[in-house]
Amino acid sequence: MAALLELTGVSAGYGPTAVLHGISLSVEEGEIVSVLGANGAGKTTTLRAITGGVRWSGNIRFAGRSLGSMHTEDIVRSGIAHVPEGRGILTELTVEENLKLGSHLRRDGAAVRKDYDRIFEYFPVLRERRRLSASTLSGGEQQMLALARALLMRPKLMLLDEPSLGLAPMIVRSIFEIIRTINQVDRVAVLLVEQNARLALEMSSQAYVLEVGRIAMRGESAELQGNESVRRSYLGY
Amino acid sequence: MQEFLQQVISGIATGGIFASLALALVLIYNAMGLVNFAQGEMAMLATFVAFTLIDHGMNYWIALPVTLVIAFAGGIAIQRIVIRPVEHAPILTLVIVTLGLATLVNGLAGFIFGYVPRSFPSPFSVQTVNLLGAYVSYRDLGVIGVSAVVLLAIYLLLQRTTLGLTLRAAAHHPEASRLLGVHVSWMLALGWGLASAAGAVSGIMAAPILLLEPNMMQTIIIYAFAAAVLGGIESPLGAVVGGVIVGVTVNLAGTYLPFVGGDLQLAVALAIIVAVLVLKPNGLFGRPSVRRV
Repeated sequence: MAALLELTGVSAGYGPTAVLHGISLSVEEGEIVSVLGANGAGKTTTLRAITGGVRWSGNIRFAGRSLGSMHTEDIVRSGIAHVPEGRGILTELTVEENLKLGSHLRRDGAAVRKDYDRIFEYFPVLRERRRLSASTLSGGEQQMLALARALLMRPKLMLLDEPSLGLAPMIVRSIFEIIRTINQVDRVAVLLVEQNARLALEMSSQAYVLEVGRIAMRGESAELQGNESVRRSYLGY
Repeated sequence: MQEFLQQVISGIATGGIFASLALALVLIYNAMGLVNFAQGEMAMLATFVAFTLIDHGMNYWIALPVTLVIAFAGGIAIQRIVIRPVEHAPILTLVIVTLGLATLVNGLAGFIFGYVPRSFPSPFSVQTVNLLGAYVSYRDLGVIGVSAVVLLAIYLLLQRTTLGLTLRAAAHHPEASRLLGVHVSWMLALGWGLASAAGAVSGIMAAPILLLEPNMMQTIIIYAFAAAVLGGIESPLGAVVGGVIVGVTVNLAGTYLPFVGGDLQLAVALAIIVAVLVLKPNGLFGRPSVRRV
């Protein structure tokens, strides 16, 4: 069976500066895959290439289609929810309006209402704050909003860029718990970019290690967890 | 007291004209971070379209919506053809492009319709009605009514519909909106269409008072700038409130300050712009812009 998402020899960069040098990576349906690496290794650029936010060469296929000539909007509409670096919250709008932007393309009204019930069950604080401006939310709440909005898009694949960034450990735990739930209940595949390698390896079945724009290592997450050099460079013990 | 009330109501009517054009400026400012200097000229051209339709025997109340639809389509066409190719150009380039557009539209109107001022029909009579002791013309009431309906319609579209939501999203956060499947480029075009239609209302309301000719909107646009700046250049509601305040202020200043009279009213508008920029640069409804550095 072909993978849900398949990157083959993808290079990308900003202007004359190349960031990715021919990386290959794949995500199966319903799988969680993590991408580890230091700052500047190209993790964010990898996600941005997938949704067309940066110029790239090589081959990217999603659900059997080449994404080469597609615009960001249409890539997203084909079933990829991308929670970008900085979470992509529209701070001029209310919490509710942000959520609506997640579901605005859906026509299955009854299912949408059920999904709203679900996200308010996962994140009760979003229900309380739904009439407030999204700019009043704390970092953790904004991450919850971003995740809830991504869920409302009913994607086949979620791209999550450092969901733990800047958050207190307890909030990170609960957010990762919900990412796992979404993955298991909805069979949504997740491509997870994380600095917190320990957490990412616990969550995922497959993992890639990026080093200055190249895949330095790939394998089962459990295997990488036991790997001496991964442990020393990324897990710190 | 009676005269004061009359001047206030008449000022609100003028304010409706300013508010419509100010709203047009704000819609485009939100979409591209730039004031469209051609907004007034586009409104003037739309007014000539309405004039031509009515001149050929079309009923005013049919010609008005037809003109708004044409103006809407024209705004979209201008965004697609003129603005989109330079979308990512530096701000100064965009300023020059809209200034060029203003000159072009002005010249085009002059070429087609000539510079002789024409009287533009109004469906409202200039007769007055006694309202709470003040004598108010039906025309002023009509202008207030039409402006109010159009502004309310645009407000509801922006605030209460999904389309309006995606429009606002695209204007404020294009990158994040793309990731939510919003066709940002088309939303910007739609913003131009809406702005163009709002401006057309302003022109059609102003024409019976000012007489229609290619330079008709050149003073109105200054008042509209004042209104938009006063309201906070990013706030649609602010543009409307600002428009009414500017209309009333200018009218009262013209009546009660002997040295202002009819000649220095424009100076009052400019004074408002300067005062707002000095005292409250974000306007009445604007948010202070805080940037992380």
